[in-house]
Amino acid sequence: MKVGMSVANRKKVGWYLIFTVPLLLIFTLIVLVPFVIGIYYAFFQWDGIGANPMVFNGLDNFVRLMDDTRFLRSAWLTVLFTVLSVITVNAAGLAFALLVTSKLKLANLARTMLFMPYLIGGLILGYIWQFVFLDVFTLLGDATGLDSIFFNWLNNEDFALFALVFVFTWQMAGYVMIVYIAGIQGIPGEVIEAARIDGASGWQRFLRITVPLLMPAFTISLFLTLSYGFKIYDVNLSLTGGGPANATELFAMNIYNEIFGYGNYGYGQAKAIVFFVIIAAITLTQVYITKKREVEM
Amino acid sequence: MAFNKKFVTGMTFAATISLLAACGGGGGDEGGSEGGSGEESQGISIFQTKVEISEQLEAAAEAYTEETGVPVEVIGTTGDDYAQQLQIRLNNGTGPSIMSVQNAEVAERLESYLYDLSGEDFVSNIAPDMELMLDDKLVGVPYSVEGFGIVYNKDMVDPADIADYDSFVSTLEDFNAEGINGFGLSSEAYFLIGHISNYPFSVQEDPVEFMEQLTNGEVNLSETEEFQRFGEFMEAIRDNTPTPLNTTYDTQVGDFAAGQTAMIHQGNWAAGMLDEFEVDFEVGMAPFPLEGNDKLAVGVGSNWAVNAEKDQAEIDAAIEFLDWLHNSETGQRFIVEDFGFIPAMTNIEAGDLDPLSQAVLEASNSGDTIPWSHNYYPANVVPNDFTPVAESFFVNEDMTGEELVENLQAAWENAAQ
Repeated sequence: MKVGMSVANRKKVGWYLIFTVPLLLIFTLIVLVPFVIGIYYAFFQWDGIGANPMVFNGLDNFVRLMDDTRFLRSAWLTVLFTVLSVITVNAAGLAFALLVTSKLKLANLARTMLFMPYLIGGLILGYIWQFVFLDVFTLLGDATGLDSIFFNWLNNEDFALFALVFVFTWQMAGYVMIVYIAGIQGIPGEVIEAARIDGASGWQRFLRITVPLLMPAFTISLFLTLSYGFKIYDVNLSLTGGGPANATELFAMNIYNEIFGYGNYGYGQAKAIVFFVIIAAITLTQVYITKKREVEM
Repeated sequence: MAFNKKFVTGMTFAATISLLAACGGGGGDEGGSEGGSGEESQGISIFQTKVEISEQLEAAAEAYTEETGVPVEVIGTTGDDYAQQLQIRLNNGTGPSIMSVQNAEVAERLESYLYDLSGEDFVSNIAPDMELMLDDKLVGVPYSVEGFGIVYNKDMVDPADIADYDSFVSTLEDFNAEGINGFGLSSEAYFLIGHISNYPFSVQEDPVEFMEQLTNGEVNLSETEEFQRFGEFMEAIRDNTPTPLNTTYDTQVGDFAAGQTAMIHQGNWAAGMLDEFEVDFEVGMAPFPLEGNDKLAVGVGSNWAVNAEKDQAEIDAAIEFLDWLHNSETGQRFIVEDFGFIPAMTNIEAGDLDPLSQAVLEASNSGDTIPWSHNYYPANVVPNDFTPVAESFFVNEDMTGEELVENLQAAWENAAQ
């Protein structure tokens, strides 16, 4: 800090500290510290019970990961889930955003209703949809005769994952819609109007004007859905519980089960580290790529 | 809407790093007050596994506080993930003074937390062989005697019709033809496979020894006759009843009470719920007829244990509470009348029992019982390994009983390694 800082400047720093220090402390205490301790645990064999011995076993936990078929399957399922979700969530979110920013009469009402599922929260949403799949779907199947589409998806090893994607989309689409709405409203009307006068069709205007100018919103939305998708746990727990037969046991749940189900605390932490590295790598790459495509006005 | 670069990078870092922290943190967010230890009297806290007695235990705790002035906090239980929740509490220092320990396998893991109760007065009243021992220390006081088997509607089922494999299957087929669920399981780990998987183990001559041999690889389930028959039973159940995966404990018992299910695989603990439904028919409990088995499976569901990590004053207070519960008139009344337990103590008279508990008590008194083998399974094998196997069996109609048993063998190997 410069010597002889003005009073006003010092005051500014004071305010700055008041707002950031508590947050920084909390972040350090409940995120950074457990993160570092977690890395430490990953090199031990330990059952997670405080009084029992921790045995240092170097990189064994990480080596063991390589041929843990249940973990690898869970990794593949998570990737599949995330890819599908990122596509459906963003497609639905963008479509909703275009819809409610058009000159629709019920735009405000629609906006509220579309955002609602996000406010309900994953756990409750999971239980609600469990009911829908179990009762409503089977009922629909019986009534319409389309029981190859309408059956309890949650009891099918292939469809359970799609059910999860569906419910996650239901939850998140309204959230990214808000991001896209902000982006769309930031596009100046005169640009669109100029394009219209030049004879660009609706589709051309969307593709050549709206999409490039929406790139910052894409960056944020893709990042959010990617990372939420990878670390999903609540919907997973309440909708399928990882079943049937571990067909929907995603990363976070696999780690939880390893630590608290099998009592392999160290090994579970090793999984968590790998999990972190993978997600960090993927999301940072995505942010880097989409940032490059952003255009300045 | 220009997001600046630092902001995005910062957020990326913060969000990704929080993934890991979230994983490490588990669910220990309920922390909170520990036993409200006042200055005048040492408070205690109880965290136990049996959902059915939650409210009644709170009432008992209140009565105890009224009598003695010792505050007792009953921490709400969560049922299925009790072991995980207990582990979190013990690790983060909010462990209870009194906890549940399901069986010897769990006791071994928690050894350093278990207080040696051998010398206490009231343990001398525990019925023979019902106490939980760890080496030569007595670490657990049994909750009660419990039993499970086929709970059936006496208006619909004659026990003679389910006394062996052939009659059992044809009874299921008859009910199936009438559109009635002949035999209900439910989707929770123990009700789906945990309890019913006991039979092929428990009808062995020495179940515990058999399980040791299994762990050591000296026997194979697929080559054991009892398991081959068990696979056939499971196949018959799957093919003639609606899938249990769509059913919870509540709907399983509810459908039975409503007469839509003729038989369910449950224990005497279900009597409380049947009572709430005010069923208008008589219920009975019959043995599961595997390999001519004609005995109910009877055992101890869980045990009270005292947390040895607490300071001596709290340990003493916890022991006093257990002593009160098992020795005082009020405490005993709670056990028998409110909890509806079949007491596992010789100094407590069983009260007016519901028909299911009565059946269990009679079996227990006459010695016509098979043991609960699942108390000797590798820790957590039922929710971790058996349940996925059972789920895939019920989901895939073309999986045979043989394959089910093969998968159970693999599941055991995975858990016992």
